[in-house]
Amino acid sequence: MLLSRQSVELLAPAGTWDSLEAAVAAGADAVYLGGKRFNMRLHRSDANFDDEKLARACEYAHAHGVKLYITVNNLVSERELPAMRSYLELLATIKPDSLLVQDLAMLQLVRQMGITIPLHSSVMMNIHNEAAVRTLQEYGVTRVVFNREMSLDQLALVRERTGIELEYFVHGDMCIAHSGQCLHSGVVFGQSSNRGRCLKPCRWPYELVDSSTGRTHCEPGPYKLAMNDMCLYRHLPQLIQSGVCSFKLEGRMRTADFVGRMVSLYRRAIDQYVADPSGYVTNEADWQNLQESRARDFTTCYAFGNPGAGAVGFSGTREPRFFSQAVKEAAMTTPAALPLLKSDRPSAKPVRPQLTVRVADLPSLLAAYQNGADIAYVGGEAFQPATPWSQEQIAAAVDLADQHNTALVVTTPRITTLRECGELEQLFACLAKLKPHGVMVSNIGALRLARSFTRLPVHSDFSFNLFNSAAACWLQSQGVVKATASLEASGEQIIDLAVSSPLPLEIIVHGPLEAMVMDYCLPKALAADSASTGLCRDTCSGGEYALKDSANQLHPVKIDQYCRNHVLLANDLCLLPHLAGLYAGGVSHYRIEGQHYTPSLVGQLTAAYRRELDRLSGQSGENFDPALLTAIAASSPRELGIGALRYRASR
Amino acid sequence: MRHIGILQLTQHLDDAVQGFKAGLTACGLTATFEYLCADGNAALLDSLALSLESRGVDLIFACSTPAAKAAKALTGDIPVVFTPVFDPVGAGLVAALDKPGGKVTGMAGMVAAPAKLAFIRQLLPEAKAVAVLYHCADPNSLLEVSHFTTAAEGLYHVIPLPVDQPQDLSLLGERLTVPIDALFLPIGKIIEENFATIAYYADLAAIPIIASSGANIQAGALGGLVADHYKLGWACAAQAVNILDGADPDSIPVGSVDKPDILLNNFAAHNLGIEFPSALAVTAKEIFE
Repeated sequence: MLLSRQSVELLAPAGTWDSLEAAVAAGADAVYLGGKRFNMRLHRSDANFDDEKLARACEYAHAHGVKLYITVNNLVSERELPAMRSYLELLATIKPDSLLVQDLAMLQLVRQMGITIPLHSSVMMNIHNEAAVRTLQEYGVTRVVFNREMSLDQLALVRERTGIELEYFVHGDMCIAHSGQCLHSGVVFGQSSNRGRCLKPCRWPYELVDSSTGRTHCEPGPYKLAMNDMCLYRHLPQLIQSGVCSFKLEGRMRTADFVGRMVSLYRRAIDQYVADPSGYVTNEADWQNLQESRARDFTTCYAFGNPGAGAVGFSGTREPRFFSQAVKEAAMTTPAALPLLKSDRPSAKPVRPQLTVRVADLPSLLAAYQNGADIAYVGGEAFQPATPWSQEQIAAAVDLADQHNTALVVTTPRITTLRECGELEQLFACLAKLKPHGVMVSNIGALRLARSFTRLPVHSDFSFNLFNSAAACWLQSQGVVKATASLEASGEQIIDLAVSSPLPLEIIVHGPLEAMVMDYCLPKALAADSASTGLCRDTCSGGEYALKDSANQLHPVKIDQYCRNHVLLANDLCLLPHLAGLYAGGVSHYRIEGQHYTPSLVGQLTAAYRRELDRLSGQSGENFDPALLTAIAASSPRELGIGALRYRASR
Repeated sequence: MRHIGILQLTQHLDDAVQGFKAGLTACGLTATFEYLCADGNAALLDSLALSLESRGVDLIFACSTPAAKAAKALTGDIPVVFTPVFDPVGAGLVAALDKPGGKVTGMAGMVAAPAKLAFIRQLLPEAKAVAVLYHCADPNSLLEVSHFTTAAEGLYHVIPLPVDQPQDLSLLGERLTVPIDALFLPIGKIIEENFATIAYYADLAAIPIIASSGANIQAGALGGLVADHYKLGWACAAQAVNILDGADPDSIPVGSVDKPDILLNNFAAHNLGIEFPSALAVTAKEIFE
């Protein structure tokens, strides 16, 4: 296909009117900006556009032949839904060229309200497979900002198969963790990175500790998760030829001067390439200019494959600013902020609360069933030293469930790229003969595959970031029968959701919580020979890794069969003393994440939670037994805490 | 048409730039601007100042102490107008506030310690013990702590909480165990940036925070008396116009904050079970929700 000026769109950020003017003057084809509400950059009150300015910005951009995209890429709580509806009504009158969205509720609301503005899925939606794209296309999504972990080759393949427009971050600040799946800031500080308030725990200093050897890695520097800045300036030809149609510059919090300079540099390069692709050479003076004015060092991130340690600024010397330091996470003694339910409120209590348990192996499964689990989850990520569930083991698990008159649900990995999707299709197809009682999925692509390849009931996991009933309605429309709430939701937000959700709601009440999931492998990055050769030497096997923060807490790093690193919060969640409030609020399903625990601990926890739930539902006349909690704390491998229940509302 | 250079340390001070530009317009001066920002990296300021010099600007408006120092260090005679600079004399920018003694003048950003103490008294009338959390390597913080401590003599029991490095804040919870009725945060980059960690522990200990940065009050401090950067920038514009009309910077005294803004945070008040005295609430420039 021959290139023209229209083949490539240069998309610039605008946090202020000055930046908007600078971007347009410097030659941006499109700009993206947010209103004062519901966008991903909410730390500063002087940034973003009020309603009147949004309308003016749209007129201004269109008058200059520039497209304008409005970011509405925030998770929305139940109480914010009416405000979101009225905001969408306003945006429909402003008529931007697209809305950039994250929350699944937006798919539902936009359709319900008859809004015809094209939707672009934000990187916060964590889209990384073809099946997800096909579902989004059915809901008016014309463009996807894919996961930053996808390479240009992978993107080209998805584009070829689906025809979707590709938007790609080419320059700016990046996350080390999978976007939309990082819960660290939200759970610990009550300020969610999925709601525009990330306090950047990935920019904290850490030591990597291997407790199997007692070795502490301080080198090559303390900032082990501090991703450098993306810069694809020297690789524009590959980017253009891979079919990326929109080149996105990051930086809605940056100055007009910065935005103008970046747009000019990229504009010049793109124009030169389009005019004469085979004769194109990098403009070294512009490259020098970029280098000199950089904040962090540059990396190409995942554009050409996993960049490993080369993408991290270990010394921290170029970090422009920090947003927080590590804190001691909420403990069991931390007061929980559960709402006091009014006595005249109609009872929302479910008849018999269901106890669900995720396990790593058959002995744990048996322990869960013997101690009162109603549903067990097996499958998905297997964390070293555990091995993935084979079909034979799943068959044995189904037999166990039948023997105990309970249910067995097969779960699936959180991130499912090409490889995992291929494996899922095969797994789903063979479930017809294994006959579990359902499957649980973690992203909308896996959901589509589950609906295509099985007739089993489908459950959705916490990674859907469920915050409101509109998203639950959407999940229901996709065939989901039970949904898990976001781990960042406060007690009040969980109860609001439980009351309004058309689907039975599950919450995770016990277990280690995953702060971040990363394609970046810490043991590999820090092993001297791998860092130099880029080869994986299986450095991780046999190790028991943890990141130690400056509050002297250990965050275990669990490595799955796909080599992804899962960084856990320091304290395991324990909501046993708070079940009464949640139960009264209408939550029907309570989950123990037991996949990192021994069978005996899984049994102990299951028995304790079963006893408490039976007590609450009137099936036993006992009082809450504080000794249960003491015993659990004594058996737990880590300190226990109350997670996001500390906060009145997740901000 | 004048040609003015703006040297900025971080865009968080852009309010001052906006005030400066609006002030120039109000004075009837038209200008083109060269805006250079170090994006928080103070090491870049010297080269950015040189770049402004090479572009032939008539005057440099320098935001922050390090930017003002970089502009002053230029060997040429381009006049410099600065704000917000906490301690212009201590920073070596001027010889004296009333007679700067060189090519540099501007608006100091310090809110006087007695005014801050009076604000605390009004907001938390029962408070007796006030802890002061500050970064030991920050000269501005040290100066404010010194002023604050002196002014608080006989009024409050002041508990100093020095921090050597940002990571020390991770264990702040262990230092908030003695009875503390209020936690005062003097100005200073490390404390301002890592406010979330401070608020985390103060919230757990139910200690109200009195901050010196507007952003920190919006983010969850109970309140504060802060300099309005927009107004400081506006006042700098009058000084700049004066200089461009031929006045010697040495003849223009360094100005100071005369009416600081009262900022309050209702979310924090609700968490603490505190009601704002109505006299304060009505005079507050903003009450964040």
